[in-house]
Amino acid sequence: MLNAKIPAGPLETKWSKYKSTVKLVNPANKRKIEVIVVGTGLAGASAAASLAELGYKVKAFYFQDSPRRAHSIAAQGGINAAKNYQNDGDSVFRLFYDTVKGGDYRAREGNVHRLAEVSAAIIDQCVAQGVPFAREYGGLLSNRSFGGTQVQRTFYAAGQTGQQLLLGAYSALQRQVALGNVTLYSRHEMLEVVKVDGKARGIIARDLISGKIERHFGHAVLLCTGGYGNVFYLSTNAMGSNVTAAWKAHKQGAFFGNPCFTQIHPTCIPVSGDHQSKLTLMSESLRNDGRIWVPKKQNDNRKASDIPEDERDYYLERRYPAFGNLVPRDVASRAAKERCDAGYGVGASKLAVYLDYAEAIERYGKIEVGKRGLTNVPKDEIIRMGKEVVKEKYGNLFDMYAKITGENPYETPMRIYPAVHYTMGGLWVDYELMTTIPGLYCLGEANFSDHGANRLGASALMQGLADGYFVIPYTIGNYLADDIQTKAISTDHPAFVEAENSAKAILEKFINIKGKHSVDHFHKALGKIMWDKCGMARNEQGLKEAIEEIKALREEFWKDVRVPGTLDEFNPELEKAGRVADFLELGELMCIDALNRRESCGGHFREESTDEGEALRDDDNFAYVAAWEFKGQSNYELHKEELVFEIVHPSKRNYK
Amino acid sequence: MKWSQFFNTSIGKKLLVGATGFFLCSFVIVHLAGNISLLYNDEGHAFNTYATFMSHNGLIQFIAWGLKVVILLHAILALQLTFKNLAARPVKYAVKPGNKTSSWFSRQMAMMGSILFIFLVVHLAQFWWAMHYGVDVPTASYGGTEEYRDLYLVVQQAFTHEYNVIIYVIGMIGLSFHLIHGFKSACQTFGLNHKKYNGIINFIGVWFFGILIPAGFALIPVVIFFKQY
Amino acid sequence: MNLTLKVWRQKNASDAGHFESFQVADVSKDMSFLELFDILNERLINEGKEPVAFDHDCREGICGMCSMYINGRAHGPWDETTTCQLHMRAYNDGDTITVEPWRAGAFPVIKDLTVDRRSFDRIIEAGGYISVNTGNAVDANAIPINKTDADAAFAAAACIGCGACVAACKNSSAMLFVSAKVSQLALLPQGQPERKERALNMVAQMDKEGFGSCTNTGACEAECPKGISLTNIARLNREFIGAGFSKED
Repeated sequence: MLNAKIPAGPLETKWSKYKSTVKLVNPANKRKIEVIVVGTGLAGASAAASLAELGYKVKAFYFQDSPRRAHSIAAQGGINAAKNYQNDGDSVFRLFYDTVKGGDYRAREGNVHRLAEVSAAIIDQCVAQGVPFAREYGGLLSNRSFGGTQVQRTFYAAGQTGQQLLLGAYSALQRQVALGNVTLYSRHEMLEVVKVDGKARGIIARDLISGKIERHFGHAVLLCTGGYGNVFYLSTNAMGSNVTAAWKAHKQGAFFGNPCFTQIHPTCIPVSGDHQSKLTLMSESLRNDGRIWVPKKQNDNRKASDIPEDERDYYLERRYPAFGNLVPRDVASRAAKERCDAGYGVGASKLAVYLDYAEAIERYGKIEVGKRGLTNVPKDEIIRMGKEVVKEKYGNLFDMYAKITGENPYETPMRIYPAVHYTMGGLWVDYELMTTIPGLYCLGEANFSDHGANRLGASALMQGLADGYFVIPYTIGNYLADDIQTKAISTDHPAFVEAENSAKAILEKFINIKGKHSVDHFHKALGKIMWDKCGMARNEQGLKEAIEEIKALREEFWKDVRVPGTLDEFNPELEKAGRVADFLELGELMCIDALNRRESCGGHFREESTDEGEALRDDDNFAYVAAWEFKGQSNYELHKEELVFEIVHPSKRNYK
Repeated sequence: MKWSQFFNTSIGKKLLVGATGFFLCSFVIVHLAGNISLLYNDEGHAFNTYATFMSHNGLIQFIAWGLKVVILLHAILALQLTFKNLAARPVKYAVKPGNKTSSWFSRQMAMMGSILFIFLVVHLAQFWWAMHYGVDVPTASYGGTEEYRDLYLVVQQAFTHEYNVIIYVIGMIGLSFHLIHGFKSACQTFGLNHKKYNGIINFIGVWFFGILIPAGFALIPVVIFFKQY
Repeated sequence: MNLTLKVWRQKNASDAGHFESFQVADVSKDMSFLELFDILNERLINEGKEPVAFDHDCREGICGMCSMYINGRAHGPWDETTTCQLHMRAYNDGDTITVEPWRAGAFPVIKDLTVDRRSFDRIIEAGGYISVNTGNAVDANAIPINKTDADAAFAAAACIGCGACVAACKNSSAMLFVSAKVSQLALLPQGQPERKERALNMVAQMDKEGFGSCTNTGACEAECPKGISLTNIARLNREFIGAGFSKED
């Protein structure tokens, strides 16, 4: 059994007690300690800035040209915090409870409670940095309800909350750069973790412009490298989002936690053809007013407007009368897949369902008529007024839809389909966010920690910033306090030389294969296997097939990939090759993990574990974190971290 | 930031260009007001009185020299900025957007300014030099004891030639195109951009400075030219 | 549809560069502009040629990474749209499309259509922040902010730092970018303590990076994918003038 080092004592005092008793590093010593931060999204930028403010010497690495481009920037909806500004009964406990329950009881209570505790301070910090959250006319912060919660605890900045939060963290980071406390390594990709005497002591990184392989020492290394949704090829992730840093750490001994826990978001714009390179998310808020339906007849090729009302199947409202169109993400996604698989899908690909605003437009139009005290208003006038209201609320989303599809969503229902959005799994970390490699930390989406088997809306931003601003600055001291005697290790140390050589060898291999197919060819093939067999619904047979198929694909990749160009130049294909090579290994582990977990929980749906078609959890056998240890190619050993629920008692999620 | 540093920044320099521009705007109003008297049917009494006053009053003389310094400062700073701006894009685009993203006037400030500058040199040589240092300028008197250098006559004679008229009309087109963008632009440089006032700024810039004033100036040689027939 | 692409090729920063033409057949109207390049690159790789290097990441119009100058327009012909969101239905069969990198001395070309925009980071470093260490914040609702100001600050903060303003400006001026950050922070009470230093230092850095000066043509506003307004530049001018005239040192 793995020990997560959760402090003893009552849940609500664990963190405060930890903070007041944790070892400290004195300021004079901090100046001598170097910390490497990989990734500059919410977790990375906030950690790098906060550690630099404390006095550590920080080196920040990112593969984009600027720290501000990390994919946290794309988060639309908002960030949760237990501020209870709305006086609607929110509290730290309630946020904690909702998050544990929303994660389908597969998250650690101690971590989630800490997350809820620091959530309020995150909002304070961001506002102080100048993050322009939405406000009411009185000048105070505005909140909305998000993801079906019963309280209004979500802070937001239009549909660009992630952007604004990231720019806040980025500005804090740039300030530390100006003060000389942080050195930036732009367009650098981490290729290997360097371990000296069992501890993480640095990284090997490639300067993506010159192609030069560099060695960097750090007393500790923080991986803040985001999620691995791109293993599916098509996802809402950025094109460059990858698992490489986490995967290299995994192969060096860091356990990988719950790799199969993937979140599929229900409201994305469907695939339009083979050329598709990524999927675009449409904010979940659209489900507040839109109605989701498919035709009652299979393979119905009529236009949406030609299908009469009684031939439409509002399947979410039918199956889940209590929650209707507002069921959680995992439930809504599976229901859409079920209808499409059964032949009721719409659009050219038949892999889409309708999200219809016609009724909402009419309803808002009538409200408008009432507000203005009008009588005898013709129907098209009502519709016109309704469209105006909808435009005001969702205009930017409708515009985006129109740009991408060329259709007018005010006139015809939008077509939507689920897409891979977030990965709850990641490197296993203890309460201090340290992986199983001493001195190697993992923050944000890259770690497995706080969301269990399903992440609630507006929780990812909260977790990334909690880890970076308020957790790591304390927990890292506990490790570094024992390290103040350690002098900077020369990068001529054999461990660095060896790590560099192995990283170089892989790159050289890519170039020298000179096969027939591009990297994307293999990435697409992997994505198809993952989506078909380890996607929204999984079963034993499919997973076993997937494992074999991935192995075969990987073999083919290493024989037949074609990477143009050379090592010592700017070579985006070479970067992709490295990333896809790692996805080809991770994909297998995800299937192994999914196969092992013979229960349905959150985003993980095993067709063998259902109750009247709904997901069925198995707490007796699977109330644990599956932490996998790399033992060699295709050889992973399972370690379990038992999940103890002292406060929240697991119950069945019911939306009927 | 010291003054020397401040006025060496891009915005500091632009501020000077804008401030000198505003001053020159005010000058053209005064200048046109005086020049209108060229159209009076008084054999140049009003105009020559005005011209003599302008060239003899001490304060006006001081301002007039200041004016020349201002014009030079405006031109030199604007040229400096223009060269810096050109240098900011060492490799040019193969395809340019034309008028899709900005108005033609806004892109031709340096060109129109240069036309204006050349015009000014010609203009000063022709009339200002004649007024101050010309040797064969006739004199006129209007019943009193005072004798005036008859600049009025010099002007009337000059504008009987179509080449002079063309030069002046081109100069005024340059002025027009320069000010259509120039006035608004200087306001923006001074930070004057406000929903409530943008309409009036635009109106003054385009219609008053951009069209009315240059049209007024251009009218004078044209009218004089056609009077001879 | 079938298209002709004229693409800028440049091996590295020191190479002189040239245009290369490609015929691309069977382009779907549903493709994004970058997916057109994906397809072209796939073909080039299969033919054993060097693919075109271009910057891109989120492909949903928010990261600011993509940066193509298409037929004389930064991010192509659609208003308030980044290149990744531009779709091929903007074009017709037989069109020739010329694609160039952002051109500015302060944005040197790295390879083909990829440029180095770190000068923007250095401008932010010069003062585009509020100096508040983690843990120093007061309660978020302790300072009410007028909604109009908060909304205006947000509108300015929506800048994605893509550099289209510089690319579109005939002077390669970065005023819209700088003014967006200065405006955001000048409009908020939190930004007041460092207000003057911020305006002065960021403008000084902007000049140092070799960007041109603003001649108020408005091309930046016209091409900005996030609709950042020229009023921000006016505000930056006010901030800078105010600071320059009032600050003692």
